Amino acid sequence: MLTLKNQFSDREELVAYVRSLAPWAEGRQSIILGGRQQAEIKLHTLDPIAYATTRNYGDGSVSRLSPYIHHGVLSLNEVRNHALILCKQPEQITKFIQELAWRDFWQRALSQNPEWAWKDIEPYKTGFNAEAYADLLPEDIAQGRTTVGCIDAFILELLQTGYIHNHARMYLASYIIHFRRIKWQAGARWFLQHLLDGDVASNNLSWQWVASTYSNKPYIFNLENVDKYFGKQVDTTAKHNRVLDASYEELHLQLFPNVRLKV
Amino acid sequence: MTKQPLILLHEESLRNSHPIFLFAPKETQVIYVWDDEYVLRSGYSLKRLIFIYETLCEMKVDILRGSTRDILQEISPSVVYIPTTNNGHLLEMIRSVEKFFPVEMVEDEPFVNLKKTMHYKRFFQYWSKVEKAASLQQGGQNA
Repeated sequence: MLTLKNQFSDREELVAYVRSLAPWAEGRQSIILGGRQQAEIKLHTLDPIAYATTRNYGDGSVSRLSPYIHHGVLSLNEVRNHALILCKQPEQITKFIQELAWRDFWQRALSQNPEWAWKDIEPYKTGFNAEAYADLLPEDIAQGRTTVGCIDAFILELLQTGYIHNHARMYLASYIIHFRRIKWQAGARWFLQHLLDGDVASNNLSWQWVASTYSNKPYIFNLENVDKYFGKQVDTTAKHNRVLDASYEELHLQLFPNVRLKV
Repeated sequence: MTKQPLILLHEESLRNSHPIFLFAPKETQVIYVWDDEYVLRSGYSLKRLIFIYETLCEMKVDILRGSTRDILQEISPSVVYIPTTNNGHLLEMIRSVEKFFPVEMVEDEPFVNLKKTMHYKRFFQYWSKVEKAASLQQGGQNA
């Protein structure tokens, strides 16, 4: 048994030390720092009231607390208690509390049903059975070289920082499962490799929700939607995102030809 | 030598105020095991491992490298306190510890308390039951 070092002169030294412990681990360090001090700094910049109206936008007031919550650095209880202090009425922050509740829900759901972590909870509602989906994540997705502009931007952010906006996670999951017809498990495994907040319950059950194996219909999106919410952050030109540049009706016909569109 | 209790932290419980520190007797040794087999199996990228390590460095915990089972056999604790988790890899590790030592699992503080058990199938069924408590300090437990 070897006691490992816990004091370093700077972050570079710590990074080199961890790399020496796990030379097989891919990639580099994130700009996002671990630790309770960083968690408290982020907690004190929280704006749960603005979250209600801006959370879906790439530059919205999202908390970015999830890496700290996943590692137990902050408890959901502590974050909720702090958010309540920042408002006059709890109704002002219902959306934020609901977001915390989603995490609590995922945890409870997986604890009650451990097999849901990797097995389809329900059949796909896409007109295809599970066998129609590929098992492995293609290399162009893993490297962020799909040639779909906004998708590649989201992937590179994931690979570099280990964090992407929740809305971007849904776009990526939908692209992988429905536009590329790859099993949700392949995407979920890849997210767990990279996301600093990668949590089997929240991550895998969200992938199942997008896939439609844990919801009533598949989640899809189009370029217009990405442009509305992330137009300032990523390339949303039609020229670089052709596969996404269509109406929802057109995409539905193209992606799920065996399922009649409900109007 | 008298056997002593031990707190075994894992990657989902990295907080000095976790209830496990009140649950276990005072002065209980706290360890985090850097288990190469577990780390390799997790498939985590370097940035995830660095985030965990940075967090550990701010805590009062001995970071020990080796196989979890071998390290525990060397320490030979009277009881091992472990924070609850639903992570399959961690649960496997915990089951392997349970074969050799008494284990007490300790829950983190709750977001809300649900008195009745329910089937966690769709979020809004759950939300309709917890919304009121979730919007109160301490999940309404002080009310």
